Amino acid sequence: MEAALIVPLLAAAVQSGTPILFATLGEMFTERAGVLNLGVEGMMVVGALAAFLTAQATGSPWLGLLAAGCAAALVGGLHGVVCLHFLGNQTVSGLALTIFGVGLANYLGTPFIGQRAPGFEPFDVPVLSAIPLLGDILFRHDALVYLSFLLPPLFWLFWHRTRPGLALTAAGEYPRAASAAGLNPVALRWAGILAGGFLVGLGGAYLSLAYTHLWTNGMTAGRGWIAVALVIFAFWRPGRAMFGAYLFGGVMAFQLRLQASGTDVPSSFLLMLPYALTVLALVLSALRGRGASSSAAPAALGVNIEPEG
Amino acid sequence: MTVQPATATPPPLVRLEGIGKSFGPVHANRDITLDIHAGRVLALLGENGAGKSTLMSMLSGVFPPDSGTILLDGAPVRFQSPREAIDAGIGMVYQHFMLVGRMTVAQNVLLGQDRGLFVRPRDMERRVGELAGRYGLDIDPAAPVAGLSMGERQRVEILKLLYRDSRVLIFDEPTAVLTPTEAGQLFAALRRMTGLGKAIVFISHKLEEVLDVADTVAILRQGRIVDTVARQAVTSRHELARRMVGREVLLEIERAEAPLGGAVLELEGLSGHGLDGLDLTLRRGEIVAVVGVAGNGQKALVDVVTGLAAPAGGEVRLQGKPWAEFFRDPPWNGAVAHIPEDRLGVGTCPELDLVDNVLLTTRKGFAPGLFLDKKSALGATRAIIRRFHVAAHGPEVRARQLSGGNLQKLVLGREFFRKPRLIVAEQPSQGLDVAATEEVWHRLLNARMQAGVLLVTGDLNEALQLADRVAVMFRGRFMAVLDAAQARDLEKIGLLMAGVDAGAPRA
Repeated sequence: MEAALIVPLLAAAVQSGTPILFATLGEMFTERAGVLNLGVEGMMVVGALAAFLTAQATGSPWLGLLAAGCAAALVGGLHGVVCLHFLGNQTVSGLALTIFGVGLANYLGTPFIGQRAPGFEPFDVPVLSAIPLLGDILFRHDALVYLSFLLPPLFWLFWHRTRPGLALTAAGEYPRAASAAGLNPVALRWAGILAGGFLVGLGGAYLSLAYTHLWTNGMTAGRGWIAVALVIFAFWRPGRAMFGAYLFGGVMAFQLRLQASGTDVPSSFLLMLPYALTVLALVLSALRGRGASSSAAPAALGVNIEPEG
Repeated sequence: MTVQPATATPPPLVRLEGIGKSFGPVHANRDITLDIHAGRVLALLGENGAGKSTLMSMLSGVFPPDSGTILLDGAPVRFQSPREAIDAGIGMVYQHFMLVGRMTVAQNVLLGQDRGLFVRPRDMERRVGELAGRYGLDIDPAAPVAGLSMGERQRVEILKLLYRDSRVLIFDEPTAVLTPTEAGQLFAALRRMTGLGKAIVFISHKLEEVLDVADTVAILRQGRIVDTVARQAVTSRHELARRMVGREVLLEIERAEAPLGGAVLELEGLSGHGLDGLDLTLRRGEIVAVVGVAGNGQKALVDVVTGLAAPAGGEVRLQGKPWAEFFRDPPWNGAVAHIPEDRLGVGTCPELDLVDNVLLTTRKGFAPGLFLDKKSALGATRAIIRRFHVAAHGPEVRARQLSGGNLQKLVLGREFFRKPRLIVAEQPSQGLDVAATEEVWHRLLNARMQAGVLLVTGDLNEALQLADRVAVMFRGRFMAVLDAAQARDLEKIGLLMAGVDAGAPRA
């Protein structure tokens, strides 16, 4: 009886946590290369719009997905130009990027408000979806959810078992060491910004092509900021990012159900819950970690690479 | 004194011809011509700022020369980046290690090396372990670099070069961070490398070690090569020193007797943080040197004495007061002065100007009310610069713009400003040239008149020159506290540093 309530809730947690997971992993990727990009919210919403417009124009959600990644990476590229070439302040540049992205998406998206686009539909994974409970929670979603399951283990593999992963880590920890080893830390950071931006864009695409199939302005609703916070909460580890994203998604799904049940609690309060709880979880985790989060941060995070000499 | 070209000398592996380099108005190198031969150790000897590091930075591709040619195997090369130099077989062990603390030894060695997407940690560690074994470099390839001592980190840097099959290995002040034992191991490794046909360039200002390892000594002064001497042709180190600084220097320092005063530091059975029952009384008027291989508890001892870590067991009294009481409200005047090993990271803030750096530990004296009295702080900084002969353009330059020796003099000046009763000096002359070392030593000797000095050093010569007593540390214990006269028995000190009590029957 209880399972009948909890299983759909957990399934919904996975679904609404997925865009945040993409964005968190994207930002994590960029930060592990040493670049702090606070423009996630802006890149995500631009990605969502690019996905929507492309899917609507071409009829292909996959092309929309690709467009979302590229658009977000392009916006992220502005951050790269400012921080990697003009050595601008990463915090300021990222904040500006968010303001720019949100404004751009609102401007370009307004004519399309309420319109629909073809998106990703859920399908059951053969065999796996038949597993009791877990199958219902994890394997009755759309393709992007399944894609997101693969990312954390791939991330781990990338950072610990591949040469580019080691190189990227070095660029985030001690760019001069990377440089002394004959690597190009600026190029590595570019890769971190663009690849991370691409993933953030996928998170945006999830919102307009899978979570909903239509466009509304401001559809990221602060999820980009949650992603920035989750990177810290997750101590820059992909596995913990997954947990954090689903926690946020779970509370999000829970409050939607509570609203639908016609509770007396004001809806504004319920809407606030996922954000407040995520912040609370962050604080608790930081208290428990006691400095673990600062030592987990890439040593050169947010520090620009000054020319040598 | 110039080397006569021997009849059968093979052509040099690398020839620098007429190299010049300027930074703004400063001529760092002028018209330098130098040969580097395979299977030989070439020492570049010179004071700080003589242009040694600049010259080698050009050879290792950090920046190109303004004029002149670098010939490798007789063909001119022009490196645009360290990678190009590395590919050509020229690599450098930097003074500031270029290592990623989060990664393991093996990962650091293989960073930027080899092709292919995937790496296998086991395989990497095995290969790095074999390489280290071949050159007698003791290291655990799977250990994260963050937990390694400075000596171990240097071995990682050397392994990086060896892994790249570098033909020319450049060492920038390699012994600055090493204990005598580690330095000995390094020299043995250098000999194995030259034995295998590698060319070694050894940048140093320590005469003794240059005479230990070099086949040829090139002396730089003010950006020029003033002489190139074969090791066999060197008759005395004084002569070499004179050529290097252009004037006579005292390498044996004269020490006047200082009257012994009251105890400024008392340790009774100090334990914890890896320390094991330390007993010591340090009085005003004496210098007690703590020697030992790095990582045997010196850092924990310094942390406790300077108030950075609370003693876990035993008694610590400073100027008669228990540790907790003393550090609850340490006196501004006549307190504890700390001259840390890491003078640019711990001792100063690199990006602050000299006035602010002086204020770091003295601000209590310049804060009559809510605001800092910057004007008098500026005056005090000027006085320190003048009295301690800090070669700086003025008090407004940033700390990182000073050379190591001048920065250390500034730190000394700042710490002595408060007239400390207890001075804790860690490796105070590490990385300094002869003239600066001499000056630092004099300052420490003079400081005995008002204070007791705890000198933690890996430089045995420094300990013997300065100390009244020498405490030999091994695994958190004092193996012995010797009088200066007893301490001259280097054999005995060496055994004590290795944990062998010469008085006890040997195992």
